[in-house]
Amino acid sequence: MKPIIRKSLLSLLVIIISFSIFVLTTHVEAQDTVLQAYLVGMIEDRQNEPIVGAEVILQDADNGEDLAATETESDGRFALPIPPQIPEAVSVHIERSHFENFATPLEVSSIEQLEQGESLTLPTVTLERKITPAFWVAAVVFLAVLVLIATGLFHNTLATLIGVTLVFGFSYLGTLVSDGLFIFDFERSLQYVDWNVIFLIMGMMIVIAVVEDTGIFQWLAFIAYRLSQGRAYVLLPILMLFTGVASAFLDNVTTMLLMTPITVQIALAMGINPLALLIPEVMASNVIGVSTLVGTPTNILIGSFAEISFNDFLINLTPGVLIAFVGLVLYTAFIYRQDLREADEPSEMLMERLAERGKIEDTENLMKAGVVFAGMIVLFVLGEQFHLLPAVTALMGATALLVWIRPDIEAMIEAVDWTTLVFFLALFITVGAIQEVGLISIIADLVGRLVGESIVLAMVGVTVFSAVLSTVIANIPFTAAMLPVVAFLSRTVPGAESKMLFYCLSVGAAMGGNGSLIGASANMVTAGIADSAGYPITYGYFLKKGFPALLITVALAMIWLLIRFL
Amino acid sequence: MSGIVCAIRGGPTSKPTIAKAIELAKETNLVLHFLYIVNLDFLTYTESSRVRLIKEEMHEMGDFIVLAAQEKAENEGVEAQGAVRDGTVSEGIIEFSQEIEADYVVLGSPRAEHDENVFTRERFESFVATVEEESGARVVLSEIETS
Repeated sequence: MKPIIRKSLLSLLVIIISFSIFVLTTHVEAQDTVLQAYLVGMIEDRQNEPIVGAEVILQDADNGEDLAATETESDGRFALPIPPQIPEAVSVHIERSHFENFATPLEVSSIEQLEQGESLTLPTVTLERKITPAFWVAAVVFLAVLVLIATGLFHNTLATLIGVTLVFGFSYLGTLVSDGLFIFDFERSLQYVDWNVIFLIMGMMIVIAVVEDTGIFQWLAFIAYRLSQGRAYVLLPILMLFTGVASAFLDNVTTMLLMTPITVQIALAMGINPLALLIPEVMASNVIGVSTLVGTPTNILIGSFAEISFNDFLINLTPGVLIAFVGLVLYTAFIYRQDLREADEPSEMLMERLAERGKIEDTENLMKAGVVFAGMIVLFVLGEQFHLLPAVTALMGATALLVWIRPDIEAMIEAVDWTTLVFFLALFITVGAIQEVGLISIIADLVGRLVGESIVLAMVGVTVFSAVLSTVIANIPFTAAMLPVVAFLSRTVPGAESKMLFYCLSVGAAMGGNGSLIGASANMVTAGIADSAGYPITYGYFLKKGFPALLITVALAMIWLLIRFL
Repeated sequence: MSGIVCAIRGGPTSKPTIAKAIELAKETNLVLHFLYIVNLDFLTYTESSRVRLIKEEMHEMGDFIVLAAQEKAENEGVEAQGAVRDGTVSEGIIEFSQEIEADYVVLGSPRAEHDENVFTRERFESFVATVEEESGARVVLSEIETS
């Protein structure tokens, strides 16, 4: 047989088989469409949040036999296929771990409707929370993670990994002792991981790794010195502004890692106490970082959860951040007035050395990084028009930089802080555990009752509460836990629909970092480097300088938010 | 090679140490070596991927601190050199003293606050004995900072 004939016959055979399958499946579907009736509905909790994975069972009311069963989807909806023959009395049972069971008989008219092949929609069912031993386990584990992070006994990542291990340990091994210890299974836990956050942070880390090697930070610091012409009072706001703006687009820790050593050198050359520049700088970094989606990890969490875009953050927060920044500049200039007055005529030898350090080390790469970074900003701003997620923009930017600059790929991979990414993964699961068992719902309920229907009280409450708590506990896990609470308040408090409470959370959690040394990682890094230069920043010292700064900046930003949204 | 090793951290607490070392260099006519140790223990609980970068920056800062001390010494007519090393403070001082076969090691006083990077008073006394034993140099202490 000739090859062309063989190919033609084969093609014909494929077409016949495909057509047969199509006809058969269409026939089956058609039969289903005609005969199959469904019992449909939705299940939610007291906060009107859809309940995922609830088992919906149709039972024979006389003997308790299961007739059909299904599970709720991610939107809390279910569609239970009704068997062709059903008894005269049936009931619907709903079961879900960490909730009370629910059962309701179907009326005779409803059963008749189903028997005739017509689908039936049940009213929305609200399940009541059940406090199980797992509730206490998840709550204690979460608190323990916060304590481990706050005390520094373990690295943040290790602390959250311990939390995850305990959660799974109780869920899988604890159930051998008691079913009540079950929190969630591995599959369910992954539903709490926000991959948008993980990929956005990873993409930005690669971008930062390329930018940081160009010497841009050292150059900026030296330019600040030259612009000030050696006048400490002028240098202070310029350095604060440069640091703050850099923090708005890069992460605060990297910014301070690079700005602190060069700032110490500038201060020593001018004969002033480096802390008079460093403390204001790190505070500015914590304040101005709030103005963009990528400026702080807490904003990345909030933006992804509440679908707040890069533009939304810029438009709704930047004016408030600028007002807070002006307040911060005035405050820091006042508290360090004595130190700033002590500036000497700078040493010629030391200034020559500084000028050498203040040069761009890699002009070509800086130019390329600048072009790509500008493109990323454009995509961050315009991306929402065509549903481009920030994480995708960050990954595209990172890849473009890697392809264009061709840096040592090993070095770039090393520059990605994998421990931070693992920290976020583990954190999502740990926070997911307290959501799963209902702790967050109870807190949301409690906060909702305290706030009542007052939008002003809700805004001030969320801002102040998150600011104060961020001074004593790590603001990232705190923010992750607060997101569902704020979402609940946004639905229940009249007038809060425009996500204003999420902006309050953003301001409180990030600016709260200024309240204490442990309030932000950037503070710790700055303190570590300053201490290495012989200028220790103690907890008490930072608290004394930082807490008033927190009050001033949060109050000013709060005023803006009230003006903007009320 | 011989000389005086002066280990400094920078800041006000190093001023008496630098002054003492300059004074000793004038008396003995030996070359003064200012030493700064880069210790990255503070990164333990914060960043783990930035070690290379921050080490470079800390070296630059250490160079600058040492340069400032050198300038001060030279203003007082004392020849001074500078060195920046990595690692723990105690090991760095011993190794550098052995390397230049130092005659004297000038140290600042132990700080009051708890800090694993520097010496506690008890460890300081044993460290002084160890330096003298392992390097053959005599340890000279600067005045205790009371402020």
